[in-house]
Amino acid sequence: MPAETHVEQNPLGRDDVVAIVRDRLAEILEIEPSDINEGDAFQEDLDADSLALIELVEAIEEELSERAVGFRIEDDDLEDLKTVRDAVDYVMARVG
Amino acid sequence: MGGDNAPDAIVAGARRAVEERGIPVVLVGREAELGDTGGIPVIEASQVIAMDDDPGSSVRTMKDSSLVRAAEAVRDDVASAMVSAGNTGATMASALLRTGRIKGVSRPAIATPIPGPSGNPTVLLDAGANAECKAEWLVQFALMGSVFSQTRFNIDKPRIGLLSIGEEAGKGSPLVKETWGLLDTVDWDAHGAEFVGNVEGRDLMGDEADVVVTDGFTGNVALKSVEGTAKNIIAALLEAFGSTPEAQAASEQLLPALLPLYQRFNADSYGGAMLLGTKGVCIISHGSSGDEAMLNAISVAAEMVESDLVGKIQTAVNA
Repeated sequence: MPAETHVEQNPLGRDDVVAIVRDRLAEILEIEPSDINEGDAFQEDLDADSLALIELVEAIEEELSERAVGFRIEDDDLEDLKTVRDAVDYVMARVG
Repeated sequence: MGGDNAPDAIVAGARRAVEERGIPVVLVGREAELGDTGGIPVIEASQVIAMDDDPGSSVRTMKDSSLVRAAEAVRDDVASAMVSAGNTGATMASALLRTGRIKGVSRPAIATPIPGPSGNPTVLLDAGANAECKAEWLVQFALMGSVFSQTRFNIDKPRIGLLSIGEEAGKGSPLVKETWGLLDTVDWDAHGAEFVGNVEGRDLMGDEADVVVTDGFTGNVALKSVEGTAKNIIAALLEAFGSTPEAQAASEQLLPALLPLYQRFNADSYGGAMLLGTKGVCIISHGSSGDEAMLNAISVAAEMVESDLVGKIQTAVNA
């Protein structure tokens, strides 16, 4: 029998990804998820610095590791992720 | 696997901790390179983050490094604490990203004991984790530092000083002034501590404060200045002692009085710097640590676990 390489689950929808990003970011910034909007800029609107972004990236990778084997957000791409929407679009482009 | 004298000194220190003090230890690294571990269990880790590797990216890319695996062992309750003489930034990043921050702590800080003539060391934080800080973070550093001072050094009512360029309340950078205002509003009695106001660099080795709070950039400059000064004074003294046969003979007479003084000022005696604010005890030892320094670091780690330092910090920052 072929080895299972990942858990078979329904494909991730955009709303699922928004929830993942928002909830993990809320935990990191210690604010309510309802205070985070898709259009919010990490630095200007949410006061999230580079360390918070690295924590967010690690959390997203861990959350998605079962759904998408080898999913990774490249460090070189981090500087292009300015808003919550950027992060969601990035993830959707790779797992959606 | 990190440190100038790794893995030999690390393994030797670990073995001494087990054999001399009965502390259970787990080694993390490439087992084939560790030599005779005396039966100490080993968590295999194939990668090593070098001293000059970028901390953030190396922790993210080298997921099988000994530092990352050590932090995961603490996260997964395989171990209660981690001790490393390796890359300081990577040690912090591993602890932060794997064990996580204590809720209520915005940024972990490095707390370094600075010995002084009075006997009890002054805890300086942040000694280099966060180059730029917000005033609210410094208040958290003060809370964590007071808990550490009470727990590690049994200081009954730690005196918190804010490092500045003058003792007067209005002196200092905008960050210092803002922090002063916030520290002055904290109910320090409820925390079993006292805010004594601004202190200056010369007070780090004095008796003005038990905990000195500053941003990581300033703290690191201050720490390295103290270390460099002490090192050069000791070198000059030793040179003077050896300069003539008479001086040599006199120094041998002084040795019994000088040795305890040397121990008090020897960084190896204090077990390294403590990373405060992560959900697990994390000690960052000096890169040049030998087996004695590692033994002391492991002993301090065990003591802080038994004293529930992390739980006490959690209570203090969320009060």
